[in-house]
Amino acid sequence: MIELFILLVKVFLVMNIALVLGSLCTWIERKGSALIQDRVGANRAGAFIESDKWFVKPALPFVRMMGWLGVINTLLCDSVKGLWKEDFVPEGASKFLHAAAPIIAVLPIMLAFAVLPLAPDFTLFGYYIHPRVAPIDAGLLFVLAMGSVAVYGVAIAGWTGNNKFSLLGSLRAAAQMISYELPMGLVFVALIVVYGSLDVYTIVERQGDLLWGFIPKWGVVMQPVSFVVLLLAGMAETKRGPFDLPEAESELAAGYFTEYSGMKFLLFWLGEFCEIALFALLLALLFFGGWHIPWVKLPEGVWWAALVGHVVLMTKVVFFCLLQIVIRWTLPRFRYDQLMNLGWKMLLPVSLVNLAVTAIIKVLV
Amino acid sequence: MSFIEFILGVAALVSGIAVISFRNPLYSAFALVANLLTIAGLYALLNAHFLAVTQVVVYAGAIMVLVLFVLMLLNLKTEQGKQPGLAQLATAVVGGIVLIVTALPPVLSRFQGLSSHQLADNVRASEGTVQAIGQELYSHYTVQFELSSLVLLIGIVGAVMLAKRKQPQLGPRQGGLLKGE
Repeated sequence: MIELFILLVKVFLVMNIALVLGSLCTWIERKGSALIQDRVGANRAGAFIESDKWFVKPALPFVRMMGWLGVINTLLCDSVKGLWKEDFVPEGASKFLHAAAPIIAVLPIMLAFAVLPLAPDFTLFGYYIHPRVAPIDAGLLFVLAMGSVAVYGVAIAGWTGNNKFSLLGSLRAAAQMISYELPMGLVFVALIVVYGSLDVYTIVERQGDLLWGFIPKWGVVMQPVSFVVLLLAGMAETKRGPFDLPEAESELAAGYFTEYSGMKFLLFWLGEFCEIALFALLLALLFFGGWHIPWVKLPEGVWWAALVGHVVLMTKVVFFCLLQIVIRWTLPRFRYDQLMNLGWKMLLPVSLVNLAVTAIIKVLV
Repeated sequence: MSFIEFILGVAALVSGIAVISFRNPLYSAFALVANLLTIAGLYALLNAHFLAVTQVVVYAGAIMVLVLFVLMLLNLKTEQGKQPGLAQLATAVVGGIVLIVTALPPVLSRFQGLSSHQLADNVRASEGTVQAIGQELYSHYTVQFELSSLVLLIGIVGAVMLAKRKQPQLGPRQGGLLKGE
């Protein structure tokens, strides 16, 4: 019984961490893009709120601050607006598939969070807790699998749009997502060779050691090429940044979600932002030591150490979210053939050579 | 049999029947995706995590996406009022019976005298972890494994060759578009 309770708490927490990271990315995107483009950005909703109620008054300065920073606008106003918008279904489209597409786009991303650990193991009130929902040994493969299932959401969305822009957008998205999964898989294999384990938890634990006694054994030190490849492939996989061809608004209206409105449209965005967070989490776990602080050894199995580890991990995750968003707003969009060339003629050979070199070094050393 | 296994089993059966009963080929393809996913779930419940994940990556994630796109691009209409002919029906029945007769006995003989509970326990205990499968593949079945990868490589090279053969006439840069036609 208590096991089931612990599991439910874990599911609740992981879901919420994913969603909070997603909404945080939304806010960073709105306000950060304003900063980058020298605009002010969202700063009105809630900024001038007045009330005489005694139980509201003490919170007013905080609420006004949040309004001024655009938090209320992004998190509250946008979603309420999404809920009240007309739910439009194009003529001749299957109503069921049209509604299912955004759910299929979000669900795999949420599921992928289930196999990633969010803190080191610890004991609380005599119970040993492993902070991960599904401790399966093929965790990295599961993330890849969920990435390929997410293609369906986009494909179905483009098809139910019932117009050429949508279909073209979804074709581009599917081709792009399938192409960039290959270098991503090869990067994972190289990491598995280096750390000798498929399990994400073990990979993170082994990054706590020191190389030659003074350099932390982080993934970025051991596999710098893999890091660059995964960063690029991840950004292409999220269909953002310089790789947002599937929704290129100058060519395709809005690509695969042209015909979506209201909450369904927002679901696609939620999926996208959660995917950013997912890739930030992967980069932090696989390449930047997860919950490890360089040269600092936290005691094992203690709850406060796990909490510190979680905060350290989340700091790294937020940093990589920020990095992806900054890249998205600074670089111009690729042309489609450039995108395919980068994937097949650059990243794939580079990751193959990287894998071969890694394997040779592993055998020799 | 746990509750989840029961639900997944029913879902697998329903989606399997749906594959052959939908009139719209696209819906059949979606039902097939659902079927593959439920079977992956059953694998996962039998502790065969690697098999489950591979099923999702290869079948649901790669092959069915291509099938789906071919169907979407062809934009096939729903077949209406077309009843299968007698010859087609006979072929289907005979083919199904032949498949069952040839495939089932070897599988059943392996598990003869076991109840479904024992069977499930046996499968669970046989370890479908990545390590166990890797050990088997690279110790007992190395030659077969390498041979099958060679066959796949030949397939890939062949596909690229077939696609390349027509390019001189059809490439966008040789076509009229860039020469200002």
